[in-house]
Amino acid sequence: MSTHFFENQEAARRQTSRLVFLFGCAVVGIVALLYGLAIVITNLPKTDAYGRVLAIPIEYWQPELLFQVVLATLAVVAGGSLYKTLQLRGGGAIVAESLGGQLIPSDTRDPEARKILNVVEEMAIASGLPTPPVYLLADENGINAFAAGFTPSDAVIGITRGSVHLLTRDELQGVIAHEFSHILSGDMRLNIRLMGTVHGILLIGMIGYFLLRSSMFSGGRRDSRDRSGSVMVMAGFGLMVIGFVGTFFGNLIKASVSRQREFLADASSVQFTRNPAGIAGALKKIGGLDAGSILTSPSAPEASHLFFSNGLRGGLQSLFATHPPLADRIRRLDPSFAGVASASPGVARIQATGAAGFAGSRTPTPLASLPAAPTGSAIQQVGEPTAAHLEYATRLLADLPSAVVAACHEPHGARAVLYALLINRDGDARRRQLDQLATFDEAGLADETRRLLRDIERLDSCVRLPLIDIALPALRNLSRSQYLAFETNVRVLVEADDRIDLFEWTLQRILFAHLRPHFERTASRARHNVHLSKLATECGVVLSVLARFGSAGDAAVRTAFDHGAAQLPGLSLALLPKERAGLPALDEALSRLARADTRVALQLLPACAAAITADGIVSVAQGEMLRAISDTLGAPMPPLLPGQKLF
Amino acid sequence: MTTLIVLAVIVIVLVMIVVGIFNRLVALKNRYENGFAQIEVQLKRRYDLIPNLVETVKGYMAHERETLEAVIQARNQASSGLANAASDPGNADAMKKLGAAEGVLGGAVGRLLALSEAYPDLKASQNMQQLTEELTSTENKVSFARQAFNDAVTAYNTYRQSFPAVVFAGMFGHSKDASLLEFDSQAIAQPPKVSFS
Repeated sequence: MSTHFFENQEAARRQTSRLVFLFGCAVVGIVALLYGLAIVITNLPKTDAYGRVLAIPIEYWQPELLFQVVLATLAVVAGGSLYKTLQLRGGGAIVAESLGGQLIPSDTRDPEARKILNVVEEMAIASGLPTPPVYLLADENGINAFAAGFTPSDAVIGITRGSVHLLTRDELQGVIAHEFSHILSGDMRLNIRLMGTVHGILLIGMIGYFLLRSSMFSGGRRDSRDRSGSVMVMAGFGLMVIGFVGTFFGNLIKASVSRQREFLADASSVQFTRNPAGIAGALKKIGGLDAGSILTSPSAPEASHLFFSNGLRGGLQSLFATHPPLADRIRRLDPSFAGVASASPGVARIQATGAAGFAGSRTPTPLASLPAAPTGSAIQQVGEPTAAHLEYATRLLADLPSAVVAACHEPHGARAVLYALLINRDGDARRRQLDQLATFDEAGLADETRRLLRDIERLDSCVRLPLIDIALPALRNLSRSQYLAFETNVRVLVEADDRIDLFEWTLQRILFAHLRPHFERTASRARHNVHLSKLATECGVVLSVLARFGSAGDAAVRTAFDHGAAQLPGLSLALLPKERAGLPALDEALSRLARADTRVALQLLPACAAAITADGIVSVAQGEMLRAISDTLGAPMPPLLPGQKLF
Repeated sequence: MTTLIVLAVIVIVLVMIVVGIFNRLVALKNRYENGFAQIEVQLKRRYDLIPNLVETVKGYMAHERETLEAVIQARNQASSGLANAASDPGNADAMKKLGAAEGVLGGAVGRLLALSEAYPDLKASQNMQQLTEELTSTENKVSFARQAFNDAVTAYNTYRQSFPAVVFAGMFGHSKDASLLEFDSQAIAQPPKVSFS
């Protein structure tokens, strides 16, 4: 299978290595400059006891000094980068809050806030991602938005008040689809790395500033230390200049990497919504609005490359712009665009002639004329939801009973929904589970669950996973002790019938994969490039489990396994016996596979799909299981459309 | 030179630790403020339900005007207390006032519901049943959100008071402990007085 999703991920990785290279160049340059500064300072003209200047020949090559400079620079830059990166590992919430964002409560009743939450929810279900929490930048009147995070589980979406006020629903959808494309294509991680590395360089300038300040305060008072004072001033000033130059190049790197990703995200936005008018309309409104997309938060410069559109005013437009010129972006979406933004209140500000010089160099592909994406198999659409999925998600949300949706939006009810999902339909186990439920010591919880149970049992089984996606933001609002109780309770309900079925396994897998990083303060792990041959055992386990759960009879199991294994020709895989191919074994294998990057998913997913479809029957539980596996491998799979082929 | 480098590295490490403390304090504060927003949504929902309740009950128990007025007044008090508290969650004074106002409201509503037991028609009305159920369920949600808020406040206070954060907390504008939100439940605990005279 070859899809844009994996190509985009690959491109993001390549950008990362390019970034590392450029960053290395910047550090070498900084070391050279600092070495020069150190030579100057150590060779300052000295005076003898009588005040005469001593002429000492300058020694340019001082290996020991160079060594010290290299060490110090590396320590500072690496320390600064590491620190920032570690801080940002806390997830997108940290970025959103530093920009002045306020979390929109998932059960808000403010109609405008509700609208944006609904748009985000639809998009999340369509793309198979957990719904990200949404932060409102209440003090910003421009039109802008961002996605930040390290992994999809800790991603957040931020949006300015201006956007919520001024954009129509279609335009909001276009903007949100653009941001989801950043989440899906691995741009977020790249962006966070960018913030981290640039911060390391920035630190040098900050130290210079600090030295300069402190020497200004202490200097001039004590004559005896005059010389050391002036050295401090010089060193401080030099460091500041070098830091400034470094930051200059850092921003250059940041802008050049970011600009290229924006066109891609615009294109994906159209693909997700099949509505170029939405995102183009939003861009036109930015052009026509006085506040444009400008942000006023003091932290905005650091995060400028995360945004939907240029968040900073003026400067060297083309060189430092983190985003392509607005007119260019609009013209790619709407070839008939003549350059005069009109759609919104305010004055038209884009001049067609201003951007013509840049745009003339290549002919942009008009996205509006692209054919509608053909409906491919589920596996081909990993990370690439289409308009059909969005439509499906919208309908699914509209069809859900409002009591269930309302419950999903608030922490108390969200837990009850998940408990209700776990309760068996009939028999002894159900009675035991309901008894267990009554022992959980939270007020009204058992009642709430029973109340929802009526609605939830009537639901089609294919909405069970989307319900989890919707409930996740509310569940993140549990306090830590509430979460721990919740985790135990889920386990108790799952184990009440002494066996774990496929759905219970899938629910636990998806739920805790996205909640655990939030509550257990374990930094989200970066994925590594591991060759599939090193993961042969794990692949064997996954295929064995899929074969054993999907088919009855030894022969059928064998056929299913062979179908899957045929998709992984390089590996020698063996069908595991029943006792070693249970769900606990699958869990263990997946947690090892989760550390590998998406290239593994590219090969393993078709094998899984082949094993599942070998007998020609795909049950809902099997489809859900495949989506859970895909999710674990970092490749979010959109919901299966009715009648869609797996592979 | 070497001593300078060593000094610089030490200074950088120290600065980082301090910045780390600063960030953690901000993050914990944001967390409990978000927790309060959660309570706010539910309380507002409750304040919107209460006029409906009074409207429904009015037709059946017109001569209980005093009780009805007490409920409305308590509701307005609590509503303004909430607006006040939402502007500065964790403020001891505001939390206390909101807690007290909520306690009074809880008591007044409790009394009203107890009185309504005496009117079989009212009890049987579907509107009333639905309202009572919604009120109870909102009540549970409020208490759940309150628990999360109080947990977040406790986490903030504990961190603020622990070393080394305690040295810098005051400097960074975190000089006061945030206050827990406790509803004064005495009024609710008291059995409603029903007189048969």
